[in-house]
Amino acid sequence: MLANANRLTPYLFLAPAVAVMAIALLYPIGYMVWASFLDWNPSQRIGEAEFVGLRNYANLLADAAFRESFWVTIRFAAIVVTVEMVLGVGLALLLDRELRGMTLLRTVFILPMMIAPIVVGLIWRYMYHPTVGTFNKVLDGLGLPTAPWLSDGDWAFASVVIADIWQWTPFIFILSLAALQSLPRSAMEAARIDGANGWQMIWHIKLPLMLPVLIVTALLRLIDAFKVLEVILVLTNGGPGLSTEILALRISRTASEFRELGYAAAMSNLLLILLLILTILMFGYTKLQEVRAARLVAAKEIA
Amino acid sequence: MQHWKLTGAAIAVAIAGAAHANPYEEYEGTTLVVNFPAHPHYDAAIEVLDQFTEETGIEVEVDQLQYLKMRERQTLELTKDEGDYDLISFVVFSKADYVYADQLENLARYFMNPELADPTYDQSDLITGYVQNIGVAGGEKGYLPGQLGSAFGVPFGSETSVLAYRKDIFEKHGIEPPETYDELLEIACQIPELEPGMGGMASRAASGHQASHAFLLHLAPLGGRVFDDQWNPIINNEAGVEAANALKTIVDCGPEGGTTFGPAEAAAAFKQGQAAMFLDSIAFAAGFEDPDESTVAGNVGYIMHPMGVQRASQTGGFGLAIPKNAPNKEAAFLLLQWLTSKEGDLAVALAGGNPSRFSTYQNAELNEKYPYSATFGEALQYADPDWRPIIPVWGQINADIGTTMSQVLTEGLDPQEALDGVADRTRDLMEEAGYYTWTDAD
Repeated sequence: MLANANRLTPYLFLAPAVAVMAIALLYPIGYMVWASFLDWNPSQRIGEAEFVGLRNYANLLADAAFRESFWVTIRFAAIVVTVEMVLGVGLALLLDRELRGMTLLRTVFILPMMIAPIVVGLIWRYMYHPTVGTFNKVLDGLGLPTAPWLSDGDWAFASVVIADIWQWTPFIFILSLAALQSLPRSAMEAARIDGANGWQMIWHIKLPLMLPVLIVTALLRLIDAFKVLEVILVLTNGGPGLSTEILALRISRTASEFRELGYAAAMSNLLLILLLILTILMFGYTKLQEVRAARLVAAKEIA
Repeated sequence: MQHWKLTGAAIAVAIAGAAHANPYEEYEGTTLVVNFPAHPHYDAAIEVLDQFTEETGIEVEVDQLQYLKMRERQTLELTKDEGDYDLISFVVFSKADYVYADQLENLARYFMNPELADPTYDQSDLITGYVQNIGVAGGEKGYLPGQLGSAFGVPFGSETSVLAYRKDIFEKHGIEPPETYDELLEIACQIPELEPGMGGMASRAASGHQASHAFLLHLAPLGGRVFDDQWNPIINNEAGVEAANALKTIVDCGPEGGTTFGPAEAAAAFKQGQAAMFLDSIAFAAGFEDPDESTVAGNVGYIMHPMGVQRASQTGGFGLAIPKNAPNKEAAFLLLQWLTSKEGDLAVALAGGNPSRFSTYQNAELNEKYPYSATFGEALQYADPDWRPIIPVWGQINADIGTTMSQVLTEGLDPQEALDGVADRTRDLMEEAGYYTWTDAD
């Protein structure tokens, strides 16, 4: 009896915090799920909205603009996360050394991610300006043809990708650098004694050891890239046409401009499910890597 | 006893007399919270609010927001049991949503109340097109006047379209300002040849609302409409295609990067001398004439919106309304009435706002201060309250027109094909919204 009570004690202490967290986290999600089954206009209270079952989800399948936004988002997220990972990790490997002025350099590198996204959008919008913008001024100065940065679909997509890479590569950089600096020095010293060159050190020692951190970093960036809104809103507002209308922008417009809260909630839920699947897959992969590493260590110890 | 009766009657008459002496007295000390857009007209209105407080003893607190954000805030506020706002300014296309959701006071009960309604207000002096566009609902089509229509708002900060042009450039090349659309399009493409580096006309054209607005600006004068009288989409008829082609010609011959322009960017291009013409709202004129922000101040001429098969300048902008959940409705009406009275309208116009009354446009002091006012007054005779449908599903149709037009402008999508697509999707949307319940859509 007493043993049972002792087992329950920690759960009793945790219960209030768990209850608060459950309400704070789950209630809004539950509300959004419920909303997705309604034909709900923001002029109505949720209780006045008509229950339409799965109609909002069925409509999503037939919605060409939604499909277009979905593919724009996938392309955007895939490109920015890949490029940012390569650049961020590369920079971290480059700056993982103790030289004079390195602290200042590292601080400068992470400045873009400290700027509010709306301001980033405005800054880049002016830099992309067709006549007075920095880029076209430079191109013109070099005698090269100017570019339609924001006024052509493909160029506009590239332009928002560039702005995102500029702002968020530092995020990858700072986490990668932290991971690099926490790697066990003994492993690297051993490799160096064994004659590994710089490239081999990176490829066979540093990157494998950093992998769990890199996976989590990529996952965080991927989640964020799927939800990016402000910079694109300011830079292109989704245009020209639908060329840069990412899903978050479509959801925002559906809720505020088209006044279809239920339909917007259904879109959000679909995005949530997609991100949940990605998260589960990536955490599963991390776990797999950890198990493999543990087995490898165990095998070496036995040998 | 008789003495007391007489005294009582005398006191009652004195009180009644005092009440009539100052209609504002009962509301003295009230603080009204108003929601205004960040817009030059409302900046001017804010300048004269102290005068209102001095005259009435009613204080006014202003919550000023960008107009689309303002709409979002209002959407939340209007669904509460008691809202924070006593008086709101609403953007014209919100009329349908708010009236349909029964969130605005019908103003009849205030104009019928002799203790609140100013007998010198002169409703007939309010610009007809603006009242129809912004104020009235429940009549023809639901959003236009009719025998059963009623007023839910009063125009304040309403706008129409005029053509601004560079007098110096036109004189230099011996060009007459365009009277018709054919002339407008010809000159628009002639300018870049005559003045290298300068676009013909700066227009809004960014994807979404801006491209839709620009297209509709040309649709009405060229004889087109989005719907016929039975709600059948006719946007893809000959006039619709002609309007799309007109917009494409204007953007192709316009300043560089025009496909990303909102109204502010288009106006900036004109102010910086990058375009010879600008066809949009009268609200931009004050900025064109301000030498601190405009390099073309003093060189700008204004004429009416050119004619296609008819004259049809746009109507739009803002109106004032009292939310149903407002805490101080009667005092809010007094402010609404004061701001839109002859005196209030003139005071705001002299501070740089847009008049909502015919008499203000005829005022000598205003015409001396802003010489272009006379042209604006002339253009208002043709202000078309039905150039854009104001129905609850308009937001989606507007966005579809806007993104499709953007594809016409940037991706070379064929205008006929583009508008056929818009018409098909609009029909589906209207069907889903129940517009064909009473009529045979085919």
